[in-house]
Amino acid sequence: MSFIHRSLSKAVADLGAPRLRVEGASKRFGGLMVFDGLSFDIPPGGVLGVIGPNGAGKTTLINVICGMLSLTAGSIHMGDRDITSKPFHVVSRLGLARSFQQTNTYSRVSVEENLYRAQRFGAQRIGAANKGPDLGIAGLLEAFGLSGHLQERSDKLPYGLQKMLGLVMVLATRPRILLLDEPAAGLERRERTQVDRFVEHAQTILGCSVLIVEHDMDLVRRLCPRIMVLDAGRLIAEGAPDEVLARQDVIDAYLGPSEEPNHAEP
Amino acid sequence: MTADRHRDIKLDSWSVVSLLSLVVLPLVTTNPIVNSLAYQVAIGISAAMAIYIMLRLGLLSFMVPAFMAVGGYAGAILAKAGATNLLLLMLVAFIVPALAAIPLGALVLRLKGIYFIFVTFLFNEMLQLILFETPSLTGGSNGISAVPPASFLGWSLDTPKALVLVTGLVCLIASVTTLMVTQYFRAEFTSIEENETLTESLGVAVWKYRTIGFVASSGVAGLAGFALVNMLSTAHPSSFASWSVNSYIAYAFVGGRGTMLGMVVGSLLLIAMTNEFAAYAQLSVGLYGILLLVVMMALPGGIVGTCIDYFENFKARSAGNLKPATNER
Repeated sequence: MSFIHRSLSKAVADLGAPRLRVEGASKRFGGLMVFDGLSFDIPPGGVLGVIGPNGAGKTTLINVICGMLSLTAGSIHMGDRDITSKPFHVVSRLGLARSFQQTNTYSRVSVEENLYRAQRFGAQRIGAANKGPDLGIAGLLEAFGLSGHLQERSDKLPYGLQKMLGLVMVLATRPRILLLDEPAAGLERRERTQVDRFVEHAQTILGCSVLIVEHDMDLVRRLCPRIMVLDAGRLIAEGAPDEVLARQDVIDAYLGPSEEPNHAEP
Repeated sequence: MTADRHRDIKLDSWSVVSLLSLVVLPLVTTNPIVNSLAYQVAIGISAAMAIYIMLRLGLLSFMVPAFMAVGGYAGAILAKAGATNLLLLMLVAFIVPALAAIPLGALVLRLKGIYFIFVTFLFNEMLQLILFETPSLTGGSNGISAVPPASFLGWSLDTPKALVLVTGLVCLIASVTTLMVTQYFRAEFTSIEENETLTESLGVAVWKYRTIGFVASSGVAGLAGFALVNMLSTAHPSSFASWSVNSYIAYAFVGGRGTMLGMVVGSLLLIAMTNEFAAYAQLSVGLYGILLLVVMMALPGGIVGTCIDYFENFKARSAGNLKPATNER
């Protein structure tokens, strides 16, 4: 029964979930080309993992998709709507929301006030008008261990709880597309499964499409049926995680090229 | 309603209620010293409220004297033309600077921090120049003198008592406006102040709320300017000198910049002490400076802010001793 309910709600949510399409995206800061000619898409309800060494351009990619930075060239579409270089808040109100690599909450107020604000701002989303299924926020708070801290100032929470609060706040805006920037970074190993739970919840309730930038390969394997690898702004591999992560060029990009074994002594 | 919001709205509402005393005071006393203090405090609080609205957005506006001048002069020109109805004058003194703030806001609200402060300060100087260079409209360096007092239902409010009463009433209206704007948009304003990037990521159009705040702040400043002109029956550039903003900012920071109550306490304390120090003619400025230094160093959150922190800590400690942390309040 529960399975049927979940499948049904996901199918209903999928009807309105837009496809995210990035075409020929380039970003340049002065003389520094961060990435060039990047194209990919995420189908409605799909999950795409983005991996790559530090400095590969992963966070910048999220920043340009969500409108924090403008693209140098290329285009980004949500369904039929062109969101290229639209302001950050407009993209968010269209249903594309992002999380941050570091903890990012309203640090001087309580957890409860943080959630209230996220819900209030999310209700102003274009076409949302606070309608839709129950987000199950209370269940998530319970599962993440936040429900016992509602009256505490968010900056007094342990790092992991602040990080999860940030994710719940993103969910409270009822997004259709989620961009998660290293959601597991800084979390203890046992806490990282909460990210799995969060993504599954967002997909079940809202039918979200998800782009995850992450260094935790176990998490990437668990959540992403498809990944792409960036190295110095180039797309060097794309496909199923097991297949891509076994490729020598991907291993080299992460760990540096392996030394040749046959250096002959003179 | 979360506990944070509940506490804030309670404090702000009480501070507005306390201002009723400024309206009642001239009715119950004829003491000129008390009445003089009452009108100075009323104008000080009104101007501090204009500072407060912008502080809620994390911006320190130095443009308050300029908007006070716009409101004051608009009221004076209208009164000179024969339209002395109090409600009309207050409306004009609010609306003219508020409208002027829309195009100005489009220019200055892109700036933040020290750049915003610097540019808004410069606008004061520019307005002074405009006042001096447009004698046909503003009377130039002479200003506009013999401004008729406001009237209400045919009664001219020209007695000393009525003048103080009008000033208190304007202060009350300025404060109620501030309360409505800052409470209605509280979530947006404080979120923008605290974490602009996060707020924008949650879909809030930051520019829109900055503009709303700037327009409201300008209107409130205009009311303060009108109160000053009506009290002095003169609109003169020196009443709106750039340096006067320092006093209003001092009221806000000494009282506590986080609450409206802070504006009331700061204005009352510093204006009362200014009058007190005036008895020591040459030393007065120095004494005022020492007072500012002591309060700012000892109470960085201002008087009200420090008291709130103290009570919150006390409450948290008591709650911790008595029972474990609860989920709901």
